[in-house]
Amino acid sequence: MIKFENVGLRYGIGPEVLSDISFALEPGSFHFLTGPSGAGKTSLMNLIYLGRRPTRGLVTMFGQSINDLDRRKLTPIRQRIGVVFQDFRLMNHLSTFDNVALPLRILGRPETEIQNNVNELLEWVGLGGKTNVLPPTMSGGEQQRIAIARAVIARPRLLLADEPTGNLDDDIGFRLMNLFDQLNRMGTTIVIATHNQAVIDKLGHPRMVLEGGRLNIESTAQKNWIQKKIQGVF
Amino acid sequence: MFVQKDRKLGVADGKRQYDLPLNRDEGSGFLILLIALMTFLAVLALSASFVLRTMGDRWSSGLENKLTIEVPAESANETHDGIVISNENVKSLTQEIAEKIRHHPAVKSADILSDSEIQDLISPWLGEDVSLIDVPMPGLISVQLQVTTPETLHALEKAARDISPTARLDTHETWLNDLLRFTGAMQFAALIITLIIGATTFTAVAGAIRSRMAVHKDEVELLHLMGAKDDYITSQFQRHALTLTLQGCVVGVLGAGIVMVLIGLISGDTGGALIPDFRLGIVHMIALFLLPVAACGISALTARHTVLRVLAGMP
Ligand SMILES: Nc1ncnc2c1ncn2[C@@H]1O[C@H](COP(=O)(O)OP(=O)(O)O)[C@@H](O)[C@H]1O
Ligand SMILES: [Mg+2]
Repeated sequence: MIKFENVGLRYGIGPEVLSDISFALEPGSFHFLTGPSGAGKTSLMNLIYLGRRPTRGLVTMFGQSINDLDRRKLTPIRQRIGVVFQDFRLMNHLSTFDNVALPLRILGRPETEIQNNVNELLEWVGLGGKTNVLPPTMSGGEQQRIAIARAVIARPRLLLADEPTGNLDDDIGFRLMNLFDQLNRMGTTIVIATHNQAVIDKLGHPRMVLEGGRLNIESTAQKNWIQKKIQGVF
Repeated sequence: MFVQKDRKLGVADGKRQYDLPLNRDEGSGFLILLIALMTFLAVLALSASFVLRTMGDRWSSGLENKLTIEVPAESANETHDGIVISNENVKSLTQEIAEKIRHHPAVKSADILSDSEIQDLISPWLGEDVSLIDVPMPGLISVQLQVTTPETLHALEKAARDISPTARLDTHETWLNDLLRFTGAMQFAALIITLIIGATTFTAVAGAIRSRMAVHKDEVELLHLMGAKDDYITSQFQRHALTLTLQGCVVGVLGAGIVMVLIGLISGDTGGALIPDFRLGIVHMIALFLLPVAACGISALTARHTVLRVLAGMP
C-alpha cells in the first residue's frame, strides 16, 4: 500500500536527514515509529503525508507512484490520509466543531451528516461540552484531542500521528490509543511516532526505528520473536 | 487574533466562518474605500466620455452639408466711404443671393433667416433685453446642400460675391472639426483614465490577496495537505475579493450617481443648444451598470490567479 525505495531527504543544501529509507506498509498494518529526538521521525511523516517531496528515491502510495505525479493528482491521495501533526495545526479562528468538521467539508459531505458525525466523535473524545470553543483557550491535551478527532473523522485509509500522546495524561492517552486500535481493526493502516515506551509495550505493534537517518523496521514475526524472548519463552 | 468584538471571548458565534479567517484581516476597510473611489472615478470618466460622444454626434449630424452665407451689414464701410448700408439694402442683396443659389443643382434649400431668428442666435451673447432695432443686422442665408464638394462651395461663393463682394461662406467645418478633435481627445483621455483605474484596482486587489495569502500560508497549506482541491481554496479568496469589491462598488456607484444627478440639475438650467443635457442613453446606462460587474469579475479573477500561483508552489 505504501512503499519507499531508497528514499533520501535533505533540507536545502544541508546534509541528508533521511538516507536510503526503504520499507513497505501492508494495508491494515500498525507500526510505531521511534527513534531519538531529531532522528527524522517528523520528516519521514512529512514524506508519507506528501507534505514534502523526497530529494531522491521512489515513493508509491496506494499503488500509485507519486514521483512524477502532477500535484493536482495528489489531492485524492491526500484525502485518504489523516494526520495528527506534532504541533496540531488547528485553525485558531474556528470552533472545535468546525475544526473537526473541516475534512468532511473538504470532501463536500452534506451538513446533516457532518453535524451527526462530528458531535458523536467530540462526545467520544470528551469534548462534547466544548464544541463552540475556540482552540487557543483550551489546554494542550484538549487541543491534541481536537487534532486527533480531526485526523480520524473522515475515516482515512492511512492514519499518521506524530507524538499524539505527548500532552495527554496516561488515562486519556490509552483511551485514544484504543481509538487508533479500533480504527486499525476496521482496516485503517496506522503509523504512530512516539517516545512512549509504555504505550509501545502495551499495544505491542512492530516498531520502525530511525537512527542516524536510517530506518530499521521490525517485521511482525521479529516482533513476536523479540517479545517471546523477553518473556523468557526461549 | 482570535478575540473579536461582539463575540464572547474564545467562543465561536453560531455562524459558519470562512475556513480561512479572511474577513478578519486588517486592510479590508482600506481596500473597500480604494475600490469605492476607483469606481466613483471610473463611472464619472465613463459618463463624461459618453456625454462627449453624444455631443460630438449631435454637432456633426446637425451641421453636416449645411452652410451659412452671411451678407455683412458693414459691407459699405470700406467701399462707400463709411456709409452704412441700410438694413433694407442688406435685405434685398440677401434676397437676391438666395434666389440665385436656389437654382444651383447641389442646393436642397436656401432659407433667409428672419430678424427674430437672427436675434435668437445673437441674444445668448448680448442678452435678451438688448434692442436690436438700431444695430445693423447682417443678412443670413441657411443653405442645405445635397452633398458638399469643393466645386459647389466655390460656385456658391462666386455667385454670392457677384452680388455682394463682402458676402462670406461659413461651412462650420473648421470649428466643427476643432470641436470634434477636442471632444475626441477628451474621450480618449476618459478612456485612458478608466483603464488606469482598472489597472490600479487590479494591482491593489492582487497585492491584498497576495498579502493575505502570505499571512495565512500555514492555514492554506493545511487545507491543501488535507486534500482540499485548488478550487476549494481559491473560491474562499474569490468570495472574499468579490465581497470587498461589491461593497466598494456600491459605495462608488452611489456616490457617482449622486454627483451625476447634481451635474444634471445644474447643467439642465443652461438649456443651451450647444451643450446637450447630461442625460444618458439606455446603452450608456447598461455600460455603467456593467462597470461594477466588470470590477467584480476582474477582482475575483485576480484573486483566483494570485492564489493559484501560490498553490502551484506547494508540494
Ligand atoms: N524544515 C526544516 N528545515 C531544515 N531542517 C529541518 C527541518 N525540519 C527538520 N529539520 C532537521 O531535520 C532533522 C530531523 O528532524 P525531525 O524530523 O523533526 O526529527 P524528529 O521528529 O525525529 O525529532 C533535525 O536535525 C532537524 O533539525
Ligand atoms: Mg518530531
